[in-house]
Amino acid sequence: MKAGTPRLAEAPLDVRNVLWLLASMLFVVGPHLVRLATWVGIFMVVVVGWRGWISWAALRAPPRWFMWAITIAATYATFMTYGRLFGREAGVTLLTVMAALKLLEMRNQRDVVLSIYLGFFLVMTNFLFSQTIPMGLYMLACVWIFVATLVGFNRVGRSPTLRERLMPAGALLLQALPLMVAFFILFPRTSGPLWALPQDSRSGQTGLSEKMTPGNIANLIKSEALAFRVQFEDGLPPYRSLYWRGPVLVDFDGATWSMAAFSSQGHMEYSRRERPTKYAVTLEPHNKTWMFALDVPGSRPEGAQMLSDLQLRYRRPINERMRYEITSYLAYRFGENANPPQLDRALAFDETRNPRLVAMGREWARENPDPRVLLTRAAQFFGNGFTYTLEPPTLERLNPYDDFAFNSRQGFCEHFAGAFTLLMRAAGVPARVVTGYQGGEVNPLNNELIVRQADAHAWSEIWVREEGWVRIDPTAAVSPLRVENGVNAALGPIGVIPSLIDYDKLGLLSTVRFAWQMANSQWDAWIVGYNTDRQRQFFSQLGVPSIDWRTLGWWLLLATLAVGSAVTIGLLLHDRPARREASVAAWDRFSAKLAAAGLARAPHEGPLDYLARVRAARPQVGAEAEEITRRYVQARYGAGASREELRTLARLVASFRAT
Amino acid sequence: MTPFANVRQSIADWIFRASVPETPPVTLVQRRIFILPTRQGYLFAFTVLVLLLASINYALSLGFTLTFLLGSMAGVAMLHTWRNLAHLKLRPGRCDPVFAGEVAHFNVSVETPSQTRFSIAVRRRGDEPVYADIVASETASICLGVHDTRRGIAQCGRLEIFTRYPIGLFHAWSYVDFGLTVLVYPRPDPFGGAPPAQSRSASEEGIPVAGDEEFNMLRAYRPGDAPKLIAWKALAREQGLLTKEFSATASSELWLDWEDARATDVEARLSILCHWVMQAEGFGQSYGLRIPGREIAPARGEAHRTRCLEALALFEAAR
Repeated sequence: MKAGTPRLAEAPLDVRNVLWLLASMLFVVGPHLVRLATWVGIFMVVVVGWRGWISWAALRAPPRWFMWAITIAATYATFMTYGRLFGREAGVTLLTVMAALKLLEMRNQRDVVLSIYLGFFLVMTNFLFSQTIPMGLYMLACVWIFVATLVGFNRVGRSPTLRERLMPAGALLLQALPLMVAFFILFPRTSGPLWALPQDSRSGQTGLSEKMTPGNIANLIKSEALAFRVQFEDGLPPYRSLYWRGPVLVDFDGATWSMAAFSSQGHMEYSRRERPTKYAVTLEPHNKTWMFALDVPGSRPEGAQMLSDLQLRYRRPINERMRYEITSYLAYRFGENANPPQLDRALAFDETRNPRLVAMGREWARENPDPRVLLTRAAQFFGNGFTYTLEPPTLERLNPYDDFAFNSRQGFCEHFAGAFTLLMRAAGVPARVVTGYQGGEVNPLNNELIVRQADAHAWSEIWVREEGWVRIDPTAAVSPLRVENGVNAALGPIGVIPSLIDYDKLGLLSTVRFAWQMANSQWDAWIVGYNTDRQRQFFSQLGVPSIDWRTLGWWLLLATLAVGSAVTIGLLLHDRPARREASVAAWDRFSAKLAAAGLARAPHEGPLDYLARVRAARPQVGAEAEEITRRYVQARYGAGASREELRTLARLVASFRAT
Repeated sequence: MTPFANVRQSIADWIFRASVPETPPVTLVQRRIFILPTRQGYLFAFTVLVLLLASINYALSLGFTLTFLLGSMAGVAMLHTWRNLAHLKLRPGRCDPVFAGEVAHFNVSVETPSQTRFSIAVRRRGDEPVYADIVASETASICLGVHDTRRGIAQCGRLEIFTRYPIGLFHAWSYVDFGLTVLVYPRPDPFGGAPPAQSRSASEEGIPVAGDEEFNMLRAYRPGDAPKLIAWKALAREQGLLTKEFSATASSELWLDWEDARATDVEARLSILCHWVMQAEGFGQSYGLRIPGREIAPARGEAHRTRCLEALALFEAAR
């Protein structure tokens, strides 16, 4: 075959290569387009289409002043959309827009390479939003396509086929995998960021908040996002007792319950504690400090503190997945000796708001202030004519609980908990709202309890003399199923949240779903949640108790060398020239000896011609040379040679002297 | 050239073991191959570093996997680039003589012992590279064109064979010097006119027709013999490819003489002589060449012409 033409330094970019690059860019930006402002998607598609057209029709790239104008416009649009240029959404928007503009002005190989490297950054930005298995696989595909594009741009001459792009790229990535795994396991992890992160840098924004107004938990409940996972050391406790304690809301302004502005440190002094249960919680990041534990926590995880109302708080906002082990007591008595200021706060309310509910509470207290009696009356009150629904009507703004208790009578846990707590306070019983989660879903494949945002719940605690703080769940009075079986059961068979219900009807589907959940759980625990603790855990499982950076460094070096040599050997095995036949080897040695004596065999010279020349030049070695040549010709071109004959030939050659 | 450049050159020669010329075939064994990151490669390293910092800062596990995947891939790519060049077998190809001013072609044939090697480039120092894919079990012939040829011997010099495939992060290269040369004939002077009249007394007869002259003998065919001179009957009798030789009559002998080529300088004279040689051969005449220090007896045919042109090319040319 004949060689290609000399390449010009500024050859126009190959159209097919450019189209590959554009496709890979769209591919990697795809998941962003639904997250970012609409104009970003339109901008991206227009620019990519324009660039494709420029390449296709061999047009000129837009002039420089135009590029500047459009860059400034895009930056301005980003600022107008997000109010800033940094932070997750704004930053990613800016990067996407710049990558698109780079595509537009790309003229040579150097620009192409820059674009592809920008593409790798865009892959990274996707992980800021999601680190699930599908996202991981999708991004792997993106990287593959980017590398294939690089391969295409590094082929000079004929444009490579699809196979010729994807195969070498795939081979590179596949051979890089072992080293990647080694690095992933061994590379030392730090806890905490190197520089301050913008507030919105991470995903995991959904979750409970410091305040509760009728309606906000109902929104949360529609989310299937994971809140945390729990592994119990010995068996799942009764479903009824799965109250995951979160923020405790004491302050009340007539509509909104909020956390106490100041809360003192507390101690877990229980006068009765029974039925301890040990478990490990894997908590999703939620950017708040609170941690969840079954009512009531009996131990404090490292880095956490306990408040006087039994809230667990981490020392900083939880912005990465976190795992902690903890013990709880399912039967307890707590807080009989609560201090008066705390009780006073649990009795305070705004007299002027929700007057009917307050009046009813006062009325009940006048008739019989015994908390047990009050509770019975409350249960009767909420048990009659109230419905549990996720879509309650909008309540009056000033007196929402009055509106709920006497007019709409449709509500969700927060309505019940809020109204009940207020009623109790009006009746002179110290009471507070506790938010958290209730129940969860058990994965039968690994017995893990999965708690989602959909399991968010609110309940009450009242203080009774000699009993201390007692948990009352007014929702249970209305919808006992909610507490017994979780939110799906409570909402009835037909769909307020159809997607949550449908799975359970199909056997196979639910098995698949649980297997998928288990895979997700493993993925989250070992891949996404691989941090300093996990690393230590991994090595202690391998029997390496403590591990320092230097050891990790040595191991990394070792892994690199091992993988490097494995790949090299693999590549060279392909390359080993075919073993020469014994006769050819002997003949080559013979020729080499003569060559050393100044009688080199010409490449085109056949054995017989060579022999004739040798005999003419060196008559004294003619006989031996003839014998060797005859045997070689017979072995190679004639009847062939036995092993014995080949050995003879080799011996003759070995003893041959060219002079 | 500055003194510094000289030092650099000699260091480079020492590192790259410049030894010339080499006996073919040259196999690019491991110690002949050098490899360094390209500018793209350094930029890639920087990209990976930034990705690593971002992964650490945002505690992105999948970010770590991306970073390590790309980093490891760069390492693997280095091996692939090196392998793309390793064990290639190079042989010098035929380098045909050209006339001065024409493009001279240096041919190098490249073979791979195993799989196809993509985008292998060969270049002379300072020239644009020529790329080729080396397909398994085929011999790729890479042809380097050299412009601005001058009469004499054009040296190919050291060749750099390199590759950046598959992803351009590394530049693997090797040097080979076969001592390839191309003979450059003088440029025929189209205004050189006809050879001097007294020497071409008999040439007015024009183109000799076969049969006009005395049939002399049959000789072995040489490449370039005119088809009409081939003894087809002998071929039919399976006597092999033979060429009919006619003996030219003494009267049609023509001497192309240095003294007759009137021009101011050596090159111009050689150009005129070259033109005459081509013309005489074109008219099928028998001609001899007489230049200072060399005399070639009259004859004709491709081989004779070549001999004459070689003599002209090498006239006072430093070997």
